[in-house]
Amino acid sequence: MTNNPDTLIANLVGDLKPVKPLSFAKGLGYSLAAAAVSALMVIMVFGMRADLMAGQFDPVFLIATGLFLVLGIAAAVTVIVMSRPQVGSDHGGWIWSAAMVALLPVAAMIVSLGSGRAMLSGDSLTHGLECLIIGGGASLLVFAILVGWLRKGAPTSPDRAGLLTGVAAGSLGIFAFSLHCADNDIVHIGLWHSAVLLLMAGLGRAVVPPLVRW
Amino acid sequence: MRADEASLARLMVMSQKGDRQAYATLLSECQRWLRGYYSRRIAPAQLDDLVQDTLMALHNKLATWDDSRPFLPWLAAIARYRWVDHLRRLYRADECELVTDFAGQDEEPAIAARISIDRLLGMLPDAQAQAIELVKIEGLSVAEASQATGQSESLIKVNIHRGLKKLAHMVEKA
Repeated sequence: MTNNPDTLIANLVGDLKPVKPLSFAKGLGYSLAAAAVSALMVIMVFGMRADLMAGQFDPVFLIATGLFLVLGIAAAVTVIVMSRPQVGSDHGGWIWSAAMVALLPVAAMIVSLGSGRAMLSGDSLTHGLECLIIGGGASLLVFAILVGWLRKGAPTSPDRAGLLTGVAAGSLGIFAFSLHCADNDIVHIGLWHSAVLLLMAGLGRAVVPPLVRW
Repeated sequence: MRADEASLARLMVMSQKGDRQAYATLLSECQRWLRGYYSRRIAPAQLDDLVQDTLMALHNKLATWDDSRPFLPWLAAIARYRWVDHLRRLYRADECELVTDFAGQDEEPAIAARISIDRLLGMLPDAQAQAIELVKIEGLSVAEASQATGQSESLIKVNIHRGLKKLAHMVEKA
């Protein structure tokens, strides 16, 4: 580092190039577009649920998928806001959406215990792992877009930004895969679809901070 | 005369469009602001380095401000992030050579109350804030801080570590 502040300022001025401010709308647009592409890919590769194709909607599917979508959007919005530093910013709004989504595994456990059903029988394990793996895969595009956005920005809480990147990506990824997964069982959704979110949140918390520190 | 929020925001808009004269003025004003901001928070010997480090961060992250938001809270967030990062690096390097004479002008603008480090430290548990203040700001050794507080030396170290981690998390919120 140069010892003379005036020299540094002269160097920085000499290095100045016009920049376009990071646009919130653009960041959100990219994230939602990535989520839409992921959903289209799932539908193209695996096909859409038969009941959706027939115009029929299961209430459990609607509520669970809607909760994942809302949490995904809330977390993505928070990540985009976090990319622009500002004293006094509040990044806590997503927590309420997360609390609502947390009701899904709680409901799964209550139903499972109440009915005496095994949560991890052979068939359900295979199907659950399929949702976990493909749902995780469907999260990766949103994950990459948000990491790229954070790298362009200046997040002052890289750990939390990483966690939220994973939450957003996981939620939107399992939303996409839910358009294929025909299982309306709350035990399956609460356990395995929520697991995608947890998996991606852990991945984001572990992998993203070193990538976005500045 | 010090530039006010509106003038700084105008200079920043012009700088983002590539106006070098405006940018030179902006950086000089930011440098002055940062010197005031950091003067009570780090040892004088480290002041220039941290100010320059922050100016470079500002330069690299020019695009993260837009004119729909105030300028000084943006600058303050960058300054605080660099300050916490500086403390963490000091901690990792186990350098405890800060001096106690932090005299100097501190003419922060009106948002100072909102962004003060005291306010940040006030949000930590007492033991952690005390350990950071004594060792990282007043320059006591870990042993001296241990004697002064009654905490064991290892507890002082743990409290510094945990406190700095929390500071890093809350750097935007206060």
